[in-house]
Amino acid sequence: MTGLGEELRLLRHGRDWRGRARVPRSAQRWERPEAGDDFPTAWARSAPAGALRTALQQGVLKPVIWSQIRPVVHGRQYLDSVRGPAIFVANHSSHLDTPLILGALPRRITENLAVGAAADYFFDSRAIAAATTLLFNAFPVERRGSRRGRSLAAELVDGGWSLLLYPEGGRTVDGWLTAFKLGAAQLCAMKRVPAVPIALRGTFVAMPRGRRWPRPGRPRVTVRIGRPMRIGADETVPEFRTRLVRAVAALWAEDDLGWYGALRAAADDSLALPTGSRSVLPTTASGQLTEDSDMAPWRRVWEATRPPATTRPRQVWTD
Amino acid sequence: MGRPGFVLDVDERTPPLLMHEGEGFRLERLPLGSRVIYPPESLPAIVDLESAIRHALAHPHGSDPLPRLLRRGMRLTIVFDDLSLPLPPMRTPDVRQRVIEQVLELAAAAGVDDVELIAANSLHRRMTPAELKRTVGERVFRAFHPDHLHNHDAEDPGGLLHLGTTPHGEDVEINRRAAESDLIVYVNITLTAMNGGSKSVSVGLASYASLRHHHNVHTLRHSRSFNDPPNSAMHHSYDRMADLIGGQVPVFTIETTLNNEPFPAALRFLTRREWEWNLTDQASYLAVKRSNDLATAKLRRRIWQATEAPYGVTGVHAGAPSQVHPHTLAAVHRQQLTEVQGQADVAIFGLPYICPYNVNSIMNPILVMSLGLGYFFNLYRGKPIVRQGGVAIFYHPMPHEFHPVHHPSYIDFYELLAETTDPVMLETKYEKQFATDPWYTHLYRTSYAYHGVHPFYMWYWGAHAMQHLDDVIFVGGNRSTTARLGFRAASSLADALELASDTVGRQPQINYLHAPPMVLADVR
Repeated sequence: MTGLGEELRLLRHGRDWRGRARVPRSAQRWERPEAGDDFPTAWARSAPAGALRTALQQGVLKPVIWSQIRPVVHGRQYLDSVRGPAIFVANHSSHLDTPLILGALPRRITENLAVGAAADYFFDSRAIAAATTLLFNAFPVERRGSRRGRSLAAELVDGGWSLLLYPEGGRTVDGWLTAFKLGAAQLCAMKRVPAVPIALRGTFVAMPRGRRWPRPGRPRVTVRIGRPMRIGADETVPEFRTRLVRAVAALWAEDDLGWYGALRAAADDSLALPTGSRSVLPTTASGQLTEDSDMAPWRRVWEATRPPATTRPRQVWTD
Repeated sequence: MGRPGFVLDVDERTPPLLMHEGEGFRLERLPLGSRVIYPPESLPAIVDLESAIRHALAHPHGSDPLPRLLRRGMRLTIVFDDLSLPLPPMRTPDVRQRVIEQVLELAAAAGVDDVELIAANSLHRRMTPAELKRTVGERVFRAFHPDHLHNHDAEDPGGLLHLGTTPHGEDVEINRRAAESDLIVYVNITLTAMNGGSKSVSVGLASYASLRHHHNVHTLRHSRSFNDPPNSAMHHSYDRMADLIGGQVPVFTIETTLNNEPFPAALRFLTRREWEWNLTDQASYLAVKRSNDLATAKLRRRIWQATEAPYGVTGVHAGAPSQVHPHTLAAVHRQQLTEVQGQADVAIFGLPYICPYNVNSIMNPILVMSLGLGYFFNLYRGKPIVRQGGVAIFYHPMPHEFHPVHHPSYIDFYELLAETTDPVMLETKYEKQFATDPWYTHLYRTSYAYHGVHPFYMWYWGAHAMQHLDDVIFVGGNRSTTARLGFRAASSLADALELASDTVGRQPQINYLHAPPMVLADVR
């Protein structure tokens, strides 16, 4: 008979803190679509739950996160024109992203913001689903499209809620920007609501996949909010999606190229954009565009974690 | 719709995998690169089973509808599979009860008075009245027991009839009442591909004189496997006998197939793929595992034996046996078949607490051997999952325990194994002596004992595997009983692989048959 400790060790082996094991590669083909959207979330949008959520976000979540990292937020002023529902789209590489965005956005927006969360990740355990729903006003999003028709997103926009979506469909494994799925652009087209691009830099370094807490040293992270964008009269959904990706990539590149340099690169169409299964690093610290799809995984992580360029003012007096 | 079976390649992501080991289970980490053969997920059960049975009886394969075969004044014998099927026993009402009730409704409507119900227990122990009642249901039991609902007696000199010999010289001797009936209605549960078809009447109602023609070492060594009837010498013999019986008495068979739900909801983790276990499954695993480990042996056995399977019925087919069985086999294959590319050097099997011969009883070492080297090893089509000259590793504690009422001849057979474990030697030297021993016969007929020859059959059941394998190792096995059976014991998988390295080297390819639920490896 094995001891309880040994049993627990075996049971926990290869599982994360939520008890989930990664799917063995040879079993991925046979993965079952999760039934996450069965979890009720309407209760979390009630007034008492909203008040509790605001208290938790402002009183606990934001102070804790802000004490562990050094967020720098740009572009909040562009949100003045946002009245009514909007779709916030951001790149995604860390569990820090959502609390960071919620902390960076004005309260008048976060109080009416619902967050799309992976149904197969956050909604497979009722306890975790309940906590996620309460804290982030989360609703389940099917990443594999098996239940696309039953998504709550459209219903929420109709109800006056803004949404925060991660069109990449999940956290990237190497910190690079991956292709956007069509859902967010489709929703903007269908509901005629604006999309607000957001780029996050530094969260992959601060707390990548596999970490449960930001790394020590209060790493610097940047939240760049772009101007709201609306789909053009003659614009197709895929075209709008491309415009969204370019906007996020330009915001991403600002850390390396500067605001005007990023604008110029976007205008010249010289920013690397992800397509299909090809992920890109829109720029590197050295200013080189990096889009080598054959690059070894370690090199991709290496590039993504390259420290940002120093932000000291330009030297006027030289030796 | 359930997902199909598949073969998992163990990689660094693979969590420890569930392994049955008798009245217990454990998580085991398999070496990287091992392959794990998973059964298809459970198929949906028939929702309106009553209608499905009615439809099958009215629209049979290769036969007139049952109502047309029933007439006033006829002798009708309803025969049903005994308690060895299914495993674990299914939650009541048993599908046999539901079929028998409908057959009896039709018989009553046709004015049939002479109806006899017989459990096809062959040389198995008699079913107790409680077991009979559980199988056929309260109404049937009250109406027919004890005079017209009883067990088959393979040693009743007046109760057997020799119908003749097959072209291969095989005696066909079956239950007299059944043989002299105007119609035999056979109610079957096909749990594995070896069940049903020609086997039902020719084995279930047979005597030792008849059974010895196919339950022998030679036939079993040429049954590759006995779960693949076209390649099973044993089934060829059944077919010949069934042809002879069918020429003398009409047989209308009703075959049912089950899905892969052998465990109740509290044990759901036993049937789920380990990387898909949620927190509930993990908590259940831990709670059940700890409780099971801490329970006394007696309590543990009682709990496991009280487990009822929530099986759902996936198919009901009726008619002439030869016409019905292909449909039944197709349904079994839909539920159990998993394609495997190539054999391995080492096969791993986790043996559960139950086999066909220890329902409400004890699994003694000979039954463990028969379950492992017989039933589990033969869960293949094409080729065994382990190569010729390979090693089989089984998980079972193999305690030195026997049920003195159910398995008296096993106790004496175990002593023979000190002299030899060679099936041929045992067969030629001792089989007849045990088969005709008057005390064993008496216990078989009047008590609840398996027939005197039964432990021999169990030993022959593993004859093909013993010939095929170079080494057999039991992880966690009692050293003295394991040694008595001619095998080796290891305390852990690592030790077992160390022992196996003498035969298959240090980097063997491993196949683990992840059962139960039932899986039939289709090895290419």
